[in-house]
Amino acid sequence: MVQKRLKTSLILITLALGFFVSSLAQAKDITLLNVSYDPTRELYKEYNDAFAKYWKEKTGDRVRVNQSHGGAGKQARAVIDGLEADVVTLALAYDIDAISEKTGLFPADWQKRLPHNSAPYTSTIVFLVRKGNPKGIYDWDDLVKPGVSVITPNPKTSGGARWNYLAAWGYALKKNNNDETKAREFVAAVFKNVPILDSGARGSTTTFVKRGIGDVLLAWENEAFLAVNELGPDQFEIVVPSVSILAEPPVTLVDKVAKKHGTLEVAKAYLAYLYSPVGQRIAAKNYYRPVSPEHADPVDLKRFPDVERFTIDAVFGGWQKAQKTHFADGGLFDQIYVPSR
Amino acid sequence: MAIAYAYRTTGGLTDHPLKSLTDRTTGRYDTCVEETMSSNRFVIYALTAALLLGTVPARAAVSPEDRWQELDQKIRILERKLEQEKEVNDKEAAKRGIVEAGEKGFSLRSPDGSWQLKLRGYLQADGRVYLDDKQDAFTNDLLLRRVRPIIEGTLGKDYQFRIMPDFGRGKTELLDAYLQTSHWSAAQVRVGKFKPPVGLERLQSATALLFIERALPTSLVPNRDVGLQVSGEFGDGVVNYALGVFNGGVDGGSADGDRNDDKDGALRLFAHPFKNTGIAALKGLGVGVAGSYGNQVGALPFFKSAGQQTFFKYITGISADGRRWRVAPQAYWYPGPVGFLAEYVRSEQDVTNGTVTRNLANQAWQVAASWVVTGEDASFKGVKPIRVFDPKNGAWGALEVAGRYNELKVDSDAFPFFADPDSAAQKASAWAAGLNWYLSRNVKVAANYEQTTFNGGSTGGGDRETEKVLLSRVQVAY
Repeated sequence: MVQKRLKTSLILITLALGFFVSSLAQAKDITLLNVSYDPTRELYKEYNDAFAKYWKEKTGDRVRVNQSHGGAGKQARAVIDGLEADVVTLALAYDIDAISEKTGLFPADWQKRLPHNSAPYTSTIVFLVRKGNPKGIYDWDDLVKPGVSVITPNPKTSGGARWNYLAAWGYALKKNNNDETKAREFVAAVFKNVPILDSGARGSTTTFVKRGIGDVLLAWENEAFLAVNELGPDQFEIVVPSVSILAEPPVTLVDKVAKKHGTLEVAKAYLAYLYSPVGQRIAAKNYYRPVSPEHADPVDLKRFPDVERFTIDAVFGGWQKAQKTHFADGGLFDQIYVPSR
Repeated sequence: MAIAYAYRTTGGLTDHPLKSLTDRTTGRYDTCVEETMSSNRFVIYALTAALLLGTVPARAAVSPEDRWQELDQKIRILERKLEQEKEVNDKEAAKRGIVEAGEKGFSLRSPDGSWQLKLRGYLQADGRVYLDDKQDAFTNDLLLRRVRPIIEGTLGKDYQFRIMPDFGRGKTELLDAYLQTSHWSAAQVRVGKFKPPVGLERLQSATALLFIERALPTSLVPNRDVGLQVSGEFGDGVVNYALGVFNGGVDGGSADGDRNDDKDGALRLFAHPFKNTGIAALKGLGVGVAGSYGNQVGALPFFKSAGQQTFFKYITGISADGRRWRVAPQAYWYPGPVGFLAEYVRSEQDVTNGTVTRNLANQAWQVAASWVVTGEDASFKGVKPIRVFDPKNGAWGALEVAGRYNELKVDSDAFPFFADPDSAAQKASAWAAGLNWYLSRNVKVAANYEQTTFNGGSTGGGDRETEKVLLSRVQVAY
């Protein structure tokens, strides 16, 4: 009798669990969160659609990628403070290092996990000036002229701003035979002409393009292209300086969060697909320089001007050192920059 | 050498399709900002014009055009800084929790709704008057039938919980306490104490009942039980299912634990076949069937009338001893202001007195109909008045009339070995008429008359005295 009852109960429980498991075996709806920096909105909007289509065809599962954008420093802080990103695609390696260091969500050597130091595309810093270049701005030296108003975001919160700052510093070092004092004076002079700081690159674009403030915007190359081609083709020009910096915006999986969400496999595939011919083509289309240009549309590639680009490792000894010297609290930027009144 | 690129294409900034890009980025270039900026700009222009006039002699070397440009830039910068401040303030405000109070209760939630705490509850104050109580067997009384504060919450979007005690009738009882996951709409998992998915009227909220007391079929289905349930819906809500494993409570009973190793399985399938069709009159039709199965030993149920008087109970010492199953076909239909509800329950249980074991089958059914006289839609979830009670402005809420017939028949094999025919009735048949006045979504006043006749249940083989009870209720729910 007891055996019969136990058997009945087991059958019921098995039925319940079987039904539950079978419902889980259906095509899944997966959600990823990609925490990115300010100017990548258009890139990932297109890329996410392409990846969702690819993943649906490959696995049958529907994947939706939610995006979070903002200044790279602020975005990294948000992840450190608990924002559960499955992947981060930020403006510079230092911010991702900070997440790894302070949260342990992924290993410290994350940059070795994907090709090209985990940077599937690169960029650089250029100038955006108003139509006709009324202030005659052609190179870094022109930024320190009296009466020139320079727009750049805040290096404390924006990855793009840190690239801008270091590009100016690198130029000054090159021009002055690596004289750090003269480089400091030069960058201080540039920031003396900065009337307002936004927290992110897109905010600075708004300040310059939409609010009509300033004579020159120090911008990501893709952001400058976007402003000219999409927002004001008859109002702006791109000026490529004599030398600029090689910006490598990296990407990585946030292992522990993805594992917790059960999205490890799809999150890995999401990042790997950035290196695929489709991903590279989309990057170039959105004005990012692909690491495998052979996969990009040649028409898109022709839009990128030749520019001499130095690396952060060669000039500043890597991001950790650059961050500590220039952007840490009390660092050179804090000493240089005095907010305008 | 510097290279300059000029891009000349047609199209302006203001009307470009991607103009919203910058708006979306900042999230602050709304009408309010525009208006603020316009007024700011006016003030700033006035001030700077005054400054300009005052400083012209000292800046004679600067052309008026350059000076004007310089001042224009300063104004734009000031405006932009105001925008930045507003953006920071808006972002800070967006992080703060939101406190809400309304007809659905009080809540505290995170801005994205993923974390919520809701405080709800309801109170029912009843009056019972027994008519023609010749033997003065029953006591007319006023009572708090249900006093149920409800704490509900959402933990990280996909986890919900509910805790609901009851302090009514001078008792303290934990009715609901469960955690539910909602990762998949087709398979939501609930664990804890709650209503097993069997009886139709039992599954209806106590605040939405058509009559003050549930009908007799509810006596044959479990009230609350502890268990695990998987439920979900398919076809955009056309088909609902619930499948669960429970301790196995007695008919009409509520249990917090189990007294044996066996468990009950319960399954309910319910469909709204016309929900997504164009046939408006049939959209509110729902039909289904539910049941449970298990082996149980121990306690047996007793049955009460609408006046909450026990008209049937087993003889002391009789206990459940083996297979129990229930089946409950059920349906409702709400075409506009009219509503119909019907259900049948058959509950079979092996019982023993120690020497004799019998399988007893008790049955009950009901049909109920209602009409919202004031024209609001009737529904399984109650009536929401179009105009809440506001006599000064000629608004009187919603009024509903209702009637029902219900029966419960105890298996004749229960007598005389398991139930005493001199005190336990074999059958109860009842009809009821009711009036519900919805002053608002939160306040309801109800009055019922229910008359129950019995077969058996009195000494000498006679019938138990007919129960005529007038029930009234004031209900507050939030």
